[in-house]
Amino acid sequence: MSYTLRGRLESRLAALALPVLAAAALHQWWALELAGLMAAVGLALDLVYHRPIDYQPGWAAIPLGLLELGVVMALVDALGVRAPLRSAIVFYAGAWLWAQLLAHALLPLWRESWAEDGGELGARPTILAAGLLVLPFVGGGAVYWHNLPPLVRLSAGVHQGPLVLDRRVRLVGAPGAVVRGGIVIRHRDVTVSHVRVVGGDYGISVLGVRNVTLDHVTVERARLDGIHIRHASVRVHACTVDMRGVPQGQGIDVSYGMIQGENVVDRCTVIGGRDGIVMHASMGMLTHNNVSATTMTGISMVEMSMGSVAHNTVSGVRGIGILCGDHSMCDIDRNTVAGTRRDDAGGNKMRAGFGLEVEFESEAHVARNDLRANPRPLGVFLGATVDP
Amino acid sequence: MPRVAIVGGGLCGFVAYLTLRRAGIEDVTVFSPDADPAMTFRVRATAIRQTHMRSESDGHCLPTSFPGLAVRESLARRSVAPLVSSALDRYHATVGTFLAHVEEQRLRSGWSPVPLRIERICALDGGFDLGGRGVFEHVLVATGHPGLAVPEELRDDPRVVHAYEPHDYAESVCVVGAGLAAATEWRNASAAGARVTSVRRREPVQRPLNVPRPLLTKRGLVRFHRLADEARAAELHDLLAPSYPREAHVDVPVEAHVNGADQVIAATGFLRGYRHDPLLAPLVEEHELATVNGWIALAPDATVPALTDRGRTLALAGVAAQWAYPAADTLMGARYVAHGFARRCRTR
Repeated sequence: MSYTLRGRLESRLAALALPVLAAAALHQWWALELAGLMAAVGLALDLVYHRPIDYQPGWAAIPLGLLELGVVMALVDALGVRAPLRSAIVFYAGAWLWAQLLAHALLPLWRESWAEDGGELGARPTILAAGLLVLPFVGGGAVYWHNLPPLVRLSAGVHQGPLVLDRRVRLVGAPGAVVRGGIVIRHRDVTVSHVRVVGGDYGISVLGVRNVTLDHVTVERARLDGIHIRHASVRVHACTVDMRGVPQGQGIDVSYGMIQGENVVDRCTVIGGRDGIVMHASMGMLTHNNVSATTMTGISMVEMSMGSVAHNTVSGVRGIGILCGDHSMCDIDRNTVAGTRRDDAGGNKMRAGFGLEVEFESEAHVARNDLRANPRPLGVFLGATVDP
Repeated sequence: MPRVAIVGGGLCGFVAYLTLRRAGIEDVTVFSPDADPAMTFRVRATAIRQTHMRSESDGHCLPTSFPGLAVRESLARRSVAPLVSSALDRYHATVGTFLAHVEEQRLRSGWSPVPLRIERICALDGGFDLGGRGVFEHVLVATGHPGLAVPEELRDDPRVVHAYEPHDYAESVCVVGAGLAAATEWRNASAAGARVTSVRRREPVQRPLNVPRPLLTKRGLVRFHRLADEARAAELHDLLAPSYPREAHVDVPVEAHVNGADQVIAATGFLRGYRHDPLLAPLVEEHELATVNGWIALAPDATVPALTDRGRTLALAGVAAQWAYPAADTLMGARYVAHGFARRCRTR
């Protein structure tokens, strides 16, 4: 088949309509997101294919299909679409088979001159296909919009806390919005963004709830933990926690969240305190964070926690840069740990300034970390194992 | 309901007939002295001992490209091999399969041409008079090749036989030409034990189909149709140079001139140009139709512009339509012309 550009795009639209409708019928966001990615990738690649492929033999559908699958799955990964791998591949394969059936049998049967016209369908069928394609996305968007928690804007200025959020809400601070005395979140589906919190025992507490997002929050001068997460599932993104002057405080403490699901802390900056980011008995990912000047550990994943510590920078901490301890399972990858200081004056050899430490029956996969100017780069203690 | 006629009952006419029937046009009159649409093809294929079609799965007579012969053969043989071959562009139906398909469609379609050769087409207001056999609003001329071409210098040589005429092989055979018929003769004569030499003016072009594939669809046709007349004629000249698929090639000695072989086979194709066609030549003269280098200048849908308007259509199929569709002498070409013709019949 020698497609015209218009023919490629129109035939693609026709082939995508059914999978998108099927995705909508599945009532799963991932399916709709996957179908959207398939549509975007397919249409974009059609523009790429047009010039170099002036004739496309039947067999070429297989390598092109695999190429598109690769691009789609890479985007699924990069964009964090929560599509189960096997289901996503089955969905893609079904859509691909449908496209082949359509191109090789149904369209040539339905429209006599389809092949001669280079795959062009004409205006009305294309509009219909595009309409069917767009409809689920518009519908999905409307449902998403409808289900968003109500938006509350926190005006600039100081608001006396503690502020307790016990219903679904998106709390968005205006520039200069400050909460004094902390925020407590006790309801699922809460987002707090662009808010500065000063003081309180805990700067922000999230207690026993799921689907909470803390986005671009700043915490200063909390007396115990900057961000205190208990038995919850939270995403913390681009936060700043300043614990300087609080020697026993923890920057971000994620604890006992194992049965609530995954926690993510990414692109946060933590300065000072005893521990920078600590995870107890929880599951999650700690990535792209910057931790410095702590007095006990930079980042620690302990007490049967499971997760990934990757792309973080830890500098100038005392004792241990990154710790995987107490029966935890850690994937420690591509972190930079520099300038750790010794803290073994009292005889505790496990605090001799290790860049990475794995201890007490923990299992760690350690790879591609940059460990500079640490008294000891790696320590493994008490039955722990490291898989390089 | 407009009156619709097809002049010529060969494969092109047959494809057009089936296409019109599928388009819902029941009243189609076909004029052809032969009742068998595959008769001419059969004679020529037999003459060159052709075993497989050059065309691929969609080289069939039906109005839609699907299901093609590969699908049908897969179903008949209960094997996916033909489908896989088709996906790899390696499927070529046997001549027997193709002829059986034509016969099946002939019997199924109610094909029954008026057994007449139309000698003259006369344009009238709102239609065409076909040799006094009636006036038709829409006429498709599908009269096929106007005759076999034999080089002037060989015309009186008693050793000469045209490739498309029945023949056996002598002990030494000189094959003139460089197309698929010539390649087939090289192979067959060699297999028969003859000493074979080839005389050709140019090195053979090796390509799978008659024309490059993009020219079978709008992708290549849009550019082709935009060419100015002289440029299009020149491109057509190049495109229609003799060619055959790579797998048909056989190495045989090449000579510059016809030698003293016992037999000379003229694998030199067909006469070209409307002037050789007894139906088209007077039509061009009477209506002063636009021509370019022996081609009648057709519209992209293979209609004759000067004789086509809102109320009537005169379209050409087969070799005469190559001005509009370079592969018009193939089954895909027949289908292309038939689709355009059916659209005009349906909407006017």
